Parts: sequence; C-alpha cells; structure tokens
Amino acid sequence: MEILLRQFQTKSFLSICKCLEPAYSHATSWTSGNAMLGKTLFHTSNTVAMPYNPPKGPRKWPIYNKKIFAPQLPGEERRPAYVCHMRTNIKYSPFKMWYVASMIRGMSVDEAIKQLSFVNKQGAVHVKEVLLEAQKLAVEKHNVEFKSNLWVAESFATKGLVMKGIRRHAKGRVGLVHYFHCHYFVRLEEGSPPAHFFFETAPKTTKTLLSEWVDEMRQRRIPGSL
Amino acid sequence: MPGMLNMPQDIASVIFENSIVEFVYNIYLMVRERHTKHWAPAFKKLRRLKVQKVKLPNFREEDTMSELTPDQIRSRMKEQGILPPRSWMERPITISATGAVFEPYIPPEGDGKLSSLTLGGAKQSMEFLSKKSKSMLAVRKIRSFEDNFSPSTFAEEAQDIYIKAHKALVEKDYDTLHQCVTELCFPLMTEDLKMCTTRWQFLKSLEPPRVVHARCTDIINKENIFSQVTVRFHTQQTLAVYDRFGRLIYGSEVVAKDVVEYVVFEKHLANSYGLWRIHEKIIPDWMPAREPGRKTYVQQKPVVESEPVADTVVPATPTEQSAAVA
Repeated sequence: MEILLRQFQTKSFLSICKCLEPAYSHATSWTSGNAMLGKTLFHTSNTVAMPYNPPKGPRKWPIYNKKIFAPQLPGEERRPAYVCHMRTNIKYSPFKMWYVASMIRGMSVDEAIKQLSFVNKQGAVHVKEVLLEAQKLAVEKHNVEFKSNLWVAESFATKGLVMKGIRRHAKGRVGLVHYFHCHYFVRLEEGSPPAHFFFETAPKTTKTLLSEWVDEMRQRRIPGSL
Repeated sequence: MPGMLNMPQDIASVIFENSIVEFVYNIYLMVRERHTKHWAPAFKKLRRLKVQKVKLPNFREEDTMSELTPDQIRSRMKEQGILPPRSWMERPITISATGAVFEPYIPPEGDGKLSSLTLGGAKQSMEFLSKKSKSMLAVRKIRSFEDNFSPSTFAEEAQDIYIKAHKALVEKDYDTLHQCVTELCFPLMTEDLKMCTTRWQFLKSLEPPRVVHARCTDIINKENIFSQVTVRFHTQQTLAVYDRFGRLIYGSEVVAKDVVEYVVFEKHLANSYGLWRIHEKIIPDWMPAREPGRKTYVQQKPVVESEPVADTVVPATPTEQSAAVA
C-alpha cells in the first residue's frame, strides 16, 4: 500500500542537513507527525535534496578492511588481525610528515603513541590521532581483543592537495609559494612487534658475516694481472 | 639585553661581583627569547604584503559539523552558495512489514526440557491451538484471504522457509533473504554477520513443527491486514561463526545443539503478492543463556549523572556575615 506522507519542517536545519544521505530501507522507527502509525517500518524511495559532492582523495586504503578471509583449518596458525586507517588532506607537508611516519614503523601502538606525544612536529599530532582512531576501530570492528596487542606494520604519507600562491621578491621578481597537504596511512597488525623491523639495522648472524667475508675475500683481484 | 649574554653559570658567579645582578642573570636564563621579531618593525606591513594570502579549503570541517548551530550551518551554506533543501518533501512510502510483534506469544516455562515420552512432556506437547479462541479467530481471518491455510500444513511450510532463510544468510544471498525475511528481521540477522563467515547446518527436526499462536492486525486502514503466526520448532542444528580473518568466534562445526525456538512469521494479507516471512523470534526469560563469546571485553563504566551539590559552607540566604563579605 502506498501512502503519501509529508515531512514538515518541524525539525531543525541541522537534522535536515544530516539526513541528506541517500535513503535506504531501514527497520528503525522513522515516525513522522502521525502518531497512529506507531512503530511501523518504511521502505522509502531514493530522493536527493542537496547537490551531490563526489568523494575526493584516496579511497582504496580502507577497502583492505573489507577483505574477508576463508575460515582457518583447526591446525593452522592463528591469522593476526589488521586494520587499515587513514586521514586525508592534512595541512602539512608530505616531506615533513615522512619523518614522523617513518619514526613509528615497527613500533608497538603504545610505544608509538608515547613517542608521538613528545615529538615537536605538528604532523605528530595528526598521526597520534589517527593511531588512536585505528586502535579503537580495531577493537570495535575487527575483532581485536586487546588494544595494546597491536603494532605499526605500515606507516606512510603521500602528497595531497597542493595549492599555489605567489610572493614577491626584491627587484620585482616573483616567487611561487606551495601550500602542501598530505595523506597519512597506517596499518596496525595484531600481535607483538617484530624484533627487527628494518633489515638493515638487524644484527647479522655469524653465518652471514662469515659468508660475506668469504665473498669479499674472493672478490679481490690483482690489478694489471692476466 | 637580548642575545648578549651567553655565559655559562659558573663563570657568571666569578664575573658578577654583585650577587643581585647574578641572581637577575640566573632568572634571565630561565626566560625564553623570541627569535621571530624583525629588527625593522616600521616595514611590517610591506613585508606582510609580499606574500599573497590564499584561502585554503578546510578539510577538518566535518569533524566539528555536529557542534554547529543551525545559524552557523546556514551561514556556511550561504558562503558556498548552496541553496537550502525544500521546506517540505512528499515521498511515496511502502509499508511492507510491521515494526513489532503484536500480542506476543508467551511460551510456557520449562517448555522443551521434558522429553515427549514422559507424562509431563506429553502434556506440554498437547497444547492445542483450537483451544485458543483469539488465535482461531486470527486463523479464520487468514482463511478469508488464503483459502488453503491450515495450521498443520503451514507448520511444515514455515520450517522450509526457516531453512531457506538461514541458507541464504550463510551464502549472503540477500535477494533470497529478503523473500524469506521481513524488513524488521533483515538487519537483525545480517548486521553482525556482514564481516563474518557462517557455517550452519540443519541436522533434523526432533519434534514436528507446531503453530502455537496467531494474530491479525491492521495498519492505518481497517482493510490493510497483517497476520503474525508463531511456530514452535524443536530442531538439531550446528552453527560456527568465523570472523573476518577466519578465526572461530562462536560455536562449533561439529557439535550439534538442540534448539527450541518460537519464530514469528508475518504476511501482508491485503497485498496479493504478500509472502510468509520470518518476522521475529520470541526469546523467553527462562531460556538458558547462549554460549559465551571467546573474547574478553573492557567493561564500560556506567555514566553517572552527578546532581548539583549544595554547598553547606556558603549559606543560601544572606546573613550578616555573608553580606559583610560581599
């Protein structure tokens, strides 16, 4: 049965602006002014009142959060949970953000948050907020039991919007001013952080040291020989 | 004396004969100097005009959207040149399911615990629908729309719908699921399992399904009738739920469980294309609790609204002393 219902502007401007997302059939009680209907369900058709603003910026990173893995077999090692989170168009240079992003790679979440609290960079504030958000998401939506049992598996920043302004220099010369934005991406993985995240800083075993020494010795040549 | 004195403290005590000067110098060391001030302040304005100001978009606007007043939103929309939405909108609305169970069935306590072979269990199973007058009236109403309706045949159909719905849920076949389940039930069934993998098996029916309750209601008009029929199932099923990463979070694929359920089926009788669909499930208070989850949670502290504390020190009424202080 189709009935026509009028939505009167009894609600505030704010709530109207809020319900501008495309309508879908929902089972919540969407009561109008008519009290007789009570708690019935409405299956509404799609209407848009405001101009459509397409999403801007990177969108692929959160898609990793939607991947569903096949159920594990009883004997298999437990797959660690992960969560991908990002913040787009931060008013900060990606070149400066690189320092903050690379600092926390391979750290546990608690350690990273602790360190970021005392880093004298504006970008660190954003990165810390993103980490806290990601930690919350992991616990609430991605079945992570302990919020401290997470480590920073991936952390990087990319270039965002760059707006160009001008400035004058002496003798009528013109200079370009770049207003940088960056996107920050982080992936938290469940478990304790690995002992050596960076291969270069890991201590070499005696076996590798020996093989490298042997290779160096064998590479020696006598110059000018036949 | 900005930037002049950069001596270490031990030398300062030697140089300054006057201890007061030394004291002032030590205080000065604790003060931070400002290094951003230009030495020629007369040209500040010209220096500022060197760089043309560019208006950058505010990407962090949405974080604070919820705290804006309607007037602030109106002014922002004006700035961006967005017209406000129309004052009233008319939309066609289709009501295809009710929002609740009307006059729900109250299952007798301890139902399903006794075996039907015992005297008590046999008495429980002899709960005749024909002795319930209101339910029979509802059945007659349903028969006025659906000639072939009978509680005995309907019970079997209901079980088929139940199995079909659960199979569709497991396979995430939402088109079929909408055919088997009402709009109220759909989000309750699917929301938590969106990011999960489910494995469900219907092993067998321990007792034949039985219609225990029936009711009819009308929404808005007297002719727009919805009927709700409660069916009792006593079945054996297995259920295993795996999270996004394939880790078992509930149940087991091997262990079979005996399930006593009271499922409410609903049909929009006035609609010629109406179907019998699962609407709700009645879970009585005496039903034993489900298997606990395999995870620990941080208990949320209840938000205690503190009442305004009356300060007993300060008198409410002005006395001579308080007046003097004021």
